[in-house]
Amino acid sequence: MLSRKTLGLLFSLGLVLTLLLAGCGATAEPQTIIQTVVVEKEGETIVETVEVVVTQEVEVPVEKEVVVTATPEPVTEPKILRVGQNAADMSSLDPHFATTTEGRALVDMIFNGLLRYAPGNGAFEAMEPDLAADYPTMEMVDGTQVWTFTLREGVMCHPAGAMPAYELTSEDVVYSLEKAANTERSAYAGEYTGMAFEAVDDYTVKITLDVPLSPVLFYPKVANYSGGFIVCKQAVEALGDDKFKTNPVGTGPFMFAKYSPQEKIELVANPDYFRGAPKLDGIEYRYMADVASREAGLLAGELDVINGIPDVQWVDKMATEEGIDVDVFGVGEVATVHFNMTVPPLDNPEVRKALAYAMDRDEFLALFGEPVAENVYSPVPAKFLAGGLTQEEVEGLGLAYDVDRDLAKQMLADAGYADGFALEVVTSEMTGYRRIYENMQAQLAEVGVDLTVNVVDHSTMHAQIREDVNPIVVYIAWRPNADVYLTRFYHSDSIVVTGAKPDTNFSHYDQIDDLIESARAATDAEEQIQLWKDAQIKLLEDMVTYPLHFQQQVYGRRSGVDYGHDLVSVLALYPGVDEMTDMTE
Amino acid sequence: MLRYILVRLLLAIPVLLAVFTLVFLVVRIIPGDPAQAALGDYASKEAVEALRERMGLNEPIYVQYFRYLGDLVRGDLGDSLITGNSISEQVAYVLPYTLELTFASVLFGTVLGIPLGMLTAVKRNSFLDYAGRVLSLAGLSIPAFYFAILLIFVFSVRLGVLPSVGGGDLTEDPLRSLKYLILPALTLGLIMTTSITRLTRSAMLNVLSEDYVRTARAKGLAEGVVMFKHALRSALLPIVSVTGLWIASLIGDSVLTEYVFSRPGLGKMLVGAIQQRDYTALQSVMVIYAAFVVVVNLITDLTYGLLDPRVSR
Repeated sequence: MLSRKTLGLLFSLGLVLTLLLAGCGATAEPQTIIQTVVVEKEGETIVETVEVVVTQEVEVPVEKEVVVTATPEPVTEPKILRVGQNAADMSSLDPHFATTTEGRALVDMIFNGLLRYAPGNGAFEAMEPDLAADYPTMEMVDGTQVWTFTLREGVMCHPAGAMPAYELTSEDVVYSLEKAANTERSAYAGEYTGMAFEAVDDYTVKITLDVPLSPVLFYPKVANYSGGFIVCKQAVEALGDDKFKTNPVGTGPFMFAKYSPQEKIELVANPDYFRGAPKLDGIEYRYMADVASREAGLLAGELDVINGIPDVQWVDKMATEEGIDVDVFGVGEVATVHFNMTVPPLDNPEVRKALAYAMDRDEFLALFGEPVAENVYSPVPAKFLAGGLTQEEVEGLGLAYDVDRDLAKQMLADAGYADGFALEVVTSEMTGYRRIYENMQAQLAEVGVDLTVNVVDHSTMHAQIREDVNPIVVYIAWRPNADVYLTRFYHSDSIVVTGAKPDTNFSHYDQIDDLIESARAATDAEEQIQLWKDAQIKLLEDMVTYPLHFQQQVYGRRSGVDYGHDLVSVLALYPGVDEMTDMTE
Repeated sequence: MLRYILVRLLLAIPVLLAVFTLVFLVVRIIPGDPAQAALGDYASKEAVEALRERMGLNEPIYVQYFRYLGDLVRGDLGDSLITGNSISEQVAYVLPYTLELTFASVLFGTVLGIPLGMLTAVKRNSFLDYAGRVLSLAGLSIPAFYFAILLIFVFSVRLGVLPSVGGGDLTEDPLRSLKYLILPALTLGLIMTTSITRLTRSAMLNVLSEDYVRTARAKGLAEGVVMFKHALRSALLPIVSVTGLWIASLIGDSVLTEYVFSRPGLGKMLVGAIQQRDYTALQSVMVIYAAFVVVVNLITDLTYGLLDPRVSR
């Protein structure tokens, strides 16, 4: 029998234990509980009512007003990519008239094509669907070739002024292609001769070709390049063609915002871009014709990307600057020498071959330096386009014309020009041209050919060589495929002044028309490529043209700029800025 | 005076007409096709011909001449052959930048050049004089564009205290745009300073040897009064003439400065128009230049008359 004292002690211990457990547990409000305690005393049982304070866990519903606020994000400056481009001012932002480097770069950011060259890779093999949901299907119908495109749904044309954004449909695509095919509304109309365009339904477009083309020749016409850029019908009709040149409306990752004459163009990110909102907030595209200014702007941190100069010394110099990287990439604009066969003594193939043997490709290459320039051995650059001849192929055929000035002198003597002869040419003041002509002058002087070089401004040179002024023409150009290179430079229709469609056939050559036309009509890729090669072999055998090198694109940038893709080649002649382009501090 | 001003303004009309006609003819003699320049070498012959037709370049030359002259008389500077933009709007945008640069340069040149010239005249044959003359000779010898690049590399690239690119936004933030004015104005202003310094020195030396200056000193006048009230006023006559010529030439000199600093302006517009064979823009800009020179010369003559009452009589 426990004494009252013992019971009291046990009770107290129990109470303490309870308190400890409560302290380790949930906090609870202490409550007063009236307990009936039975206390046994010796000899008697006493029932007492005792007030005991006991702390127990009690669930008490508590209403709390919780105000949830968003975590404030740190205020950051908008990411505006500042580009310094080699141009005095805007030319045209209508993609069907954008023929200059500065124009091509801008329209590339504002517009899309049905297909596109993969960012950073201008090879045909890397082409992929753009506005089209997939590659087109092709079928032959009554001798005509029909390509059918299915468009992506939900692609939005940029808003413009009072015109809200709207969904691009096949009506816009057909309108755009018809505009590109119109001589009065496009500089590229010749690319779309013999084509008809049809909107089958809102998302289906059919393109019918009178003359079938291989994918190699057809795809570039509907890609994000030149006439293949798709414009928005409502915008063009609302603005008119002239206004549209300075107020472009497309579907691309960036939208036109503002033009400050002679200074810059501002683009803003398109948040509704179908590939995702751009990482950049905008682009400031500055017109800066002086390379020293562009260089200073980049070094001073006022610019993020600049157009450099195709000179390995410039590349090396800028690469040593802290925080600056230099990118050298394709496509390469090919420098080719054309001999005017109508001007004596260049009408003699042996004289032309002698001049070829007198010239050293490596000397011309040294003017620009590798990797800015690389030698080519055929008019079509094998590194970038199908149908070009490699160095091995040309050397294997004995058509490389490796420099041999003694042989050149002998050949000239055999042709009756032991004392040499004199020629006079005009060159552009632009570095790329002037250096080549001046070096050619020095090289040909070693075999007794006296070449007088007159320097004129660039536009004047282009005008005069198209008037057949030069007996020797150096031309630097990029063309999107072998057919365009061969047609415009070596088809008889393209002979300057007198051709059916005068263009840039400065040599007046007319011996490979059939090869060019057969290649164009070929739908088998291998056959087509071989025909192109055969045409160029003939050109080299007759020494109509002497390919020198291609000059690549050179751009400097802050190290924090990430274009979002590797740089191999870009047809728009700039590094390519899209929704993946980003920059860090 | 009013009659004098009116006569001068009336005489400006044939001057402007002559300038316009000369420019109209010269640009059409220069080889190069605006349509080809606009479309680039990739464009087909058909596209070039179509654009020439739209540009009105296939019309007889006298038709083009009188059409443009008629527009000019009505105050319409025409549209750019290349972009189709209104030339008037373009000029309205870039002209303030050129005027801003020109007058800032003149202000800098005169505020610095005249006191320096006076100082070197007063301290003749001292070290200060020799130093001033050497520096002014150096300043005259350095091409403006080279000087501009030097300033950019010092103040923008190395020190990072001033911008080197652009002209700022005159309409939205005129005060901030002043920062973009400093280096270009310094470029042209320092070169002008060297010329004004030499001229002021020479003029002051001539005046300081005059009898009336000796008389003023003999009367006990303070040297400052002698210099500024008597000597400088006479010396200012040739300085004003030259400054007027400088202002007119600065408009042309601003071409290279605007080019190097990538700053909008009439000079840059002119270069671009030449390169692109934009006949309309080229003609309009040259007419504006000519009008500016006429106005500046008129103001110079009037100022001369204020300084020397004998001229206005």
